[in-house]
Order: sequence, then C-alpha cells, then structure tokens
Amino acid sequence: MVTKLSGPRATSKRSKGKNLRPVAHFTVPTWIFLFLTILIPFIYGIYISFLNINLASFLPASFIGFDNYLNVLRAPETWSTFQITLVITFFGLLVQIPLGIILALALHENLRGTKIFRSILITPMLLTPVAVGLTYRFMFDTDLGVVNWMLGLLNIEKVNWLGSQTSALFAIIIVDSWQSIPFVMLLVLAALTAISPSLYEAARVDGASSSQIFRNLTLPLITPTLLVITMIKIMDFLKLFDTLFILTRGGPGNATTTLGLWTYKTGFIFLELSRAAALGVIVAIISLPVYFLWRKASKGVR
Amino acid sequence: MKVRTTFSYLLLASASFLSLFPLFWTISTSIKDRVDTYTLPPKFFNFSPTFKNYHSLFSMDKFWEIYWNSILITFGSTLICLVLGSLAAYAFARKPKFRGRGPLEGLMIAVRALPGIVLLLPIYKLSSYFGLYDSKIALILIYAGFNLPFAIWLLMSFFEQIPIEIEESARVDGASNFRMFTKIILPIAAPGLVATGIFVSLLSWNEFLIPVIMAGENAKTLPVLVASFISNRTLDWGPMAAAATVALVPIVLLTVVIQRWLVAGLSSGAVKE
Repeated sequence: MVTKLSGPRATSKRSKGKNLRPVAHFTVPTWIFLFLTILIPFIYGIYISFLNINLASFLPASFIGFDNYLNVLRAPETWSTFQITLVITFFGLLVQIPLGIILALALHENLRGTKIFRSILITPMLLTPVAVGLTYRFMFDTDLGVVNWMLGLLNIEKVNWLGSQTSALFAIIIVDSWQSIPFVMLLVLAALTAISPSLYEAARVDGASSSQIFRNLTLPLITPTLLVITMIKIMDFLKLFDTLFILTRGGPGNATTTLGLWTYKTGFIFLELSRAAALGVIVAIISLPVYFLWRKASKGVR
Repeated sequence: MKVRTTFSYLLLASASFLSLFPLFWTISTSIKDRVDTYTLPPKFFNFSPTFKNYHSLFSMDKFWEIYWNSILITFGSTLICLVLGSLAAYAFARKPKFRGRGPLEGLMIAVRALPGIVLLLPIYKLSSYFGLYDSKIALILIYAGFNLPFAIWLLMSFFEQIPIEIEESARVDGASNFRMFTKIILPIAAPGLVATGIFVSLLSWNEFLIPVIMAGENAKTLPVLVASFISNRTLDWGPMAAAATVALVPIVLLTVVIQRWLVAGLSSGAVKE
C-alpha cells in the first residue's frame, strides 16, 4: 500500500510554485483504497443478491432475479427480527439519551474531580465488546451471577436473565447502554460547553428556575446534537453484533436476533449467501434515510 | 445550590462505580481459584489471588500466535490508516471545495453507517475466490478500509488547528506540496497522529465481526479467541476472565496515555467541527 504514496509525490511537482493549495489529489490513495475495500464489495454484494449461491453447494451459481428478495420479504423471520431491532433501538434510546444528558449536566457543573469522573465514565466505551459481553454473561448467570445475588439481597427471586425473551432483551439493552451512555454523554457535554455562559446569566437575572433554564434554554440548544446522537445510535443498533453474539447468540431461538444478526446467520450458519446478500441490501436500504438525516443533522451542529 | 452539588456528586460517584465494577469483576475473577469463583455470596476481596487461570490460558495451544496476530493486524491496519488518512485529511482540512470531495465524504459516511455484515458477505465471497480467506494481509486491508474514514475525520480536526501562515511562509521558500506536508505539517501534527493511531488501534484491537467471518485458524485474533470460550459446553469462568483481562488491559493502559485527546477522538466523525 505504501507504494501508492508515489502518486501524490509525482503529481505535486507539477503544482510546484503555484499559490493555490492544490492538494485535492492527496485524496487519491484514499479513493483507490476505499474503492477496493468498500465500493467493489458493496456492488458485488448487490450482484450476488440476484444469484443463488449456497456455500454448502457445489453447483455453479445461476441468476434468479428477484427471487431472494421475494423469499426474504415473505419469510416471517425477516419481520420478527426487524421488530426486535426496533424494540432494542427504541428502549435503548429511551435509556441512553436521558441518562447521557443527566451525566453530561453533572459533569458540566465543573465540580472538583470532574476530570477524573469523566475519565472513569468514558472507560466502558473503549473496552472490547466481546470481553464486555463475557463479563456480563458471567454477571447475569442465573446461579452464580452477582446480579441475581444482589437481587437476592433485596429478596427478589432468581431471574434466568438470558433464558426468556423479555429478560434477555432487557439484559442486552443494559449491556449496550453501559457501553453507549458515555458516547451520548460526551457529545452532549460538548454541546453544553459550546453554549455561551452569558445566556445562563441572563436567564438567571430574569429569575428563571433551574428547570425552566433547562427546558427553555439548554434543551433547545442541544437538540441538534441530540438528533445527531439519535441517528448514530439507530445505525449502531442496526450494526449491533458483538455483545449480542456473546450474550445470547440471538437466542433463545431467535427471540433476540436482530436484523443484522439474522443476516449473519442466514449467510454463515445457514450458508445461504445470496439470500443473506439480499437481506444485506435491504438493511442498507433501511439505513439509507438515517444516513441522509445524519448528514443533514450533523451540518446543523456548529 | 448545595443540594444540587451533593446530588451531582452522588450521581457521578454511583455512575463511576457502575462503570468500573464489571472491569473489576473480570480482573478479580481472573485471579480467583475455581472454588472462590463458584461460590455464593461472591468473594469481592476475601480470596487469595492465584495465577492459575493465566497459566492455563498462556499454555493454551496457539495462544501466543493469536496474540501476535492481533498485534500484527492492529499495527498494520493502523499504519495504512495513518498514511492514507493523513494525506486525505490534509486535503480536506486545507481545501474546502474540490471535485470529488462530496462523493468521497458520502462514501466515508456510508462506511460508518452500513452494518459491517453487509460488506463482509461479498468480501468473504471475493476473498475466498482470490484465496485470501484466513490471510492476515486481507484482514489488515479490510480493517484499514473500515477504519479509514474515522482516521480521516479525527486527523482533519488536528490539521485544521495548524495556522495556515506557517504553510504560506514555507511556500514562499518554494517547498512543494508534498515536501511541505512531510517536512512541516506532519511534525506539527505529530501529537494528533499519535492520538489517531491509538484510537484506530483500539478499534482494530476490539474488532470482532471481521475476524469471526474472515479468519480461520491462521489469522485468528484475540476477540475471536475470547468469544470461543462461550461455545464450550462447560463454561469455565476463570480462564475466560483471564482471556478477557488480557484483551482489556492494553486498552486501559492506552487510555491513560491519550487522556488529553480522548474527548476529541471519541466524538470524532459524529459532529462536523
């Protein structure tokens, strides 16, 4: 890959001495690289979604038109896993955004020790999701887990956390929130820092209470950031894989399988590569509006 | 006002406890004897530490090879991201409009937006066709492709802080673009390069979906090894916690190094600066 460096070097001689800053060609290596690793696979993915490749079969693949799409759209699993994705997304956002805001507000008070608190609170989002998943799986263990032990201290009966749909979804949302709240917190904190302190002073001089200030001043000013966070989080929930894979593998049955995990299972467990590719295209289409809204929303943030 | 301060402290303290407890619990489980792990009430401090779990982890078939794979792939992909990323980020930072900027940014955002599985299905098929399945080189390239946009966004925020006057005086001296970039810009942006390098390394180190699809026995990485513990019928939490700790500790150490850039790095690409 390093050889590609010769590109910009060679062309930069031509522009020598000009007063413009003609550095657009510095993006050429990136273009080539993303073309090979992202764009070609993506287009090839669309192509194979019209074939009938099965990884277990040795028959040559043939073109079957929209059959994969029709099959996928008719399959109840597609819709049930989509529904599960929506449930996780909805409740995940419901937990993560308010808690992220509250923590950001607490950090924004600039109390003594804020820096240490911030470093500690950020830690979860940096940790290997697979290792985090394992840790939580141990903590949620029915007989030996600390979670049930603590509940036992409160005289609550043992819960088989990963054994039923509702509690497993609950556990998944807890683990994802543990890793994602810091992200929400950081972005909100950045938005709060950008608000001019004079606005707060003016509001206080006018006799506004803390809750009034939050509702009428802070909240409207951080709304663009909240929109961006929401878009990013929706995309991340579509991507959710590592912790889900470790915690439940989408089980029991398919009870916690999201659309993304279902695509993986279709391709690499049932070996229906073409059908999985069709699912992949559908997932891409679903994320399309979010993608555009994100681009739009992120321009609204300073 | 006093009540509010107390409340904030209480909130931050309990959130900090919740943030650190799982980490503490993994590490403490990793140095516990089997008997101390499988007992209730859980033993938080009242156990005698042992390194048995690490011993059995390290003596595992191929453990060191897998660890080395993780380091190699992390390092290789980070290097690509830094070289290509700094060039592109510099162009983005210095030239607000040029032909192809829009599409390239769109492509970068698409990488961030699309679930990896969508790209990995065709990548898997293509690489098995070209004999690149289970190859470390292929993994390095794919990791780099997936992380390059992030590197560009982050580096861009560092390049934008470099005053343009520095370049203008160099240009009067007749330095070419590329010379100026390597001799003047990159040294000034060195801390940013280090921070970006560490961030991209973290992403690569933690990556699971790519290797679980693309790696067999030869290119297996640490997260795949850690994950493989749960497919065993008998769950042995001790060695499992040791494996998780071995994956987590380098991260915690690196985090201390990049404390200064943490916030910029973690929110990079989310918001346009």
